[in-house]
Amino acid sequence: MKEAIVIENLSKRYNDFLALDNLSLEVRRNEDVALVGPNGAGKTTALKVLCGLLRPSSGTAYINGVNVVEERERAISKVGAVVETPEFYPFLTPNETLSYLGRLRGMRGRGLKSRIDEVLKLVKLDGWSNVRIEKFSRGMKQRLVLAQSLLHDPPILILDEPTLGLDPRGMAEMRETLKKAREEKTVFFASHLLAEVTQVCDRVALIDHGRLLVYDSIARLKKKYRTSLEGVYLKLTEGAT
Amino acid sequence: MNAEFEKLKVVTKYELLKQVRRRRFYGALILVVIAEALAIALYKGLNIPEALPIPIPDSPKLFALFVAGMGSSVAVLAAVFFAGDSIASEFERKTGYILFPNPVKRSTLVVGKYAACFIVTAVVLVSAYALASAALVGMYRQLPVEVLGSLGLALLLGCSILGLAFLFSSLLKGGMGATIATLLLFMLIFPIIRMGLTYSGREPWFTLDYAADSVSSVYGIPFAEMWQGPMGGMALMTPDPTTSLFVMLAYFVAPFVMSIWITKRREML
Repeated sequence: MKEAIVIENLSKRYNDFLALDNLSLEVRRNEDVALVGPNGAGKTTALKVLCGLLRPSSGTAYINGVNVVEERERAISKVGAVVETPEFYPFLTPNETLSYLGRLRGMRGRGLKSRIDEVLKLVKLDGWSNVRIEKFSRGMKQRLVLAQSLLHDPPILILDEPTLGLDPRGMAEMRETLKKAREEKTVFFASHLLAEVTQVCDRVALIDHGRLLVYDSIARLKKKYRTSLEGVYLKLTEGAT
Repeated sequence: MNAEFEKLKVVTKYELLKQVRRRRFYGALILVVIAEALAIALYKGLNIPEALPIPIPDSPKLFALFVAGMGSSVAVLAAVFFAGDSIASEFERKTGYILFPNPVKRSTLVVGKYAACFIVTAVVLVSAYALASAALVGMYRQLPVEVLGSLGLALLLGCSILGLAFLFSSLLKGGMGATIATLLLFMLIFPIIRMGLTYSGREPWFTLDYAADSVSSVYGIPFAEMWQGPMGGMALMTPDPTTSLFVMLAYFVAPFVMSIWITKRREML
């Protein structure tokens, strides 16, 4: 299967609210795709279904050919995820937290320890590895969120607003990390920041009211609509609202 | 199967680490020491054997009943302290966004969390019984074997309360709500049922708080009759330890299995 991620006629209803409306899209291996759309468009819901945090009302999704709904554990074993603004256990340190998550993914011993050191260095938290997370700022926690998503060196990254809560330097560093990651990984990420999207991704899936409005390369969209990505976004979401 | 068991060990280890890092664990241990010291001081200071409505001679068993008999309260408080927020907090505090997108079954997470809660509850309970046993040996040079039976039943009671707390924790949005619901069930709902049944002359054998009294009835002292005076005949029945054992087992298994089932289906909204 060439596709790393396949979303097939996915719908998700919360009581009367239809968050995803028959959404279908495919992300090929080593492709970097941004999921963009207005607030409440269904971006986070789609990512949550992919990570097995929500069950779809209908439709399904596959990661590396494995059905997420039917075989959740196997499907997400090759995924590194950042969903919403997660919290960590305040009484544990980054070392302990990453050790816990790494061991749940079958990592052990020196390999795990050196990988923990590596990812903490990557997100510039190496000086904080043994400090309890209760002392961390929002930005530091967000760096740790990225560290845990990269810990097992997954071929697929599913990221929801990964730079949320970071200061400008942190955002720039995070983008650099993602740019490096995209060279060898499939990156599927949701963001409001179109400038960031342009730097990190080649293709964009624009959704609104849970429906796919357009899915194409940024270059082609700019050419087709003869405007910037922001212009494309404003034009298409205006029509849909 | 083997891989899942390895993950269970990992979950238990880190959940245990979380529990022992919390102040409430040490708070529970300090409370136990204070409660035991208070019970011993009151037993001796008020000369309890003589002060009972129906006085009976002082004995190691009566002392154990009075001092180690608080095992049921310790089991309830410890279990509720540690388990109330076990599952609910993953959703309420959003830590589930980190934990759940990992290749581990939700059932493994719940069982691991339960095991960790049981271990810390057992540590608190064993500490309480160790203090009571030390006092028994120091004062009477004897350690009645019933103390072990009482400890066993208190541990089983802890399992039951943990099961109920896990059920509420998997059902409710917040850890505080789960803690309060468990306490209300044990300290308000069950006693009301028990009171109604007792007044109508029926034995409330199936209520957990009545079964919890087996932690004391195991000593074979007819405490219901001993303490009947101020209760106006309310506590005339003494639970049978064997029946109580099965009742507590049922209150452990059924809610715990339900909590696993609910947690597996609960969505991270």
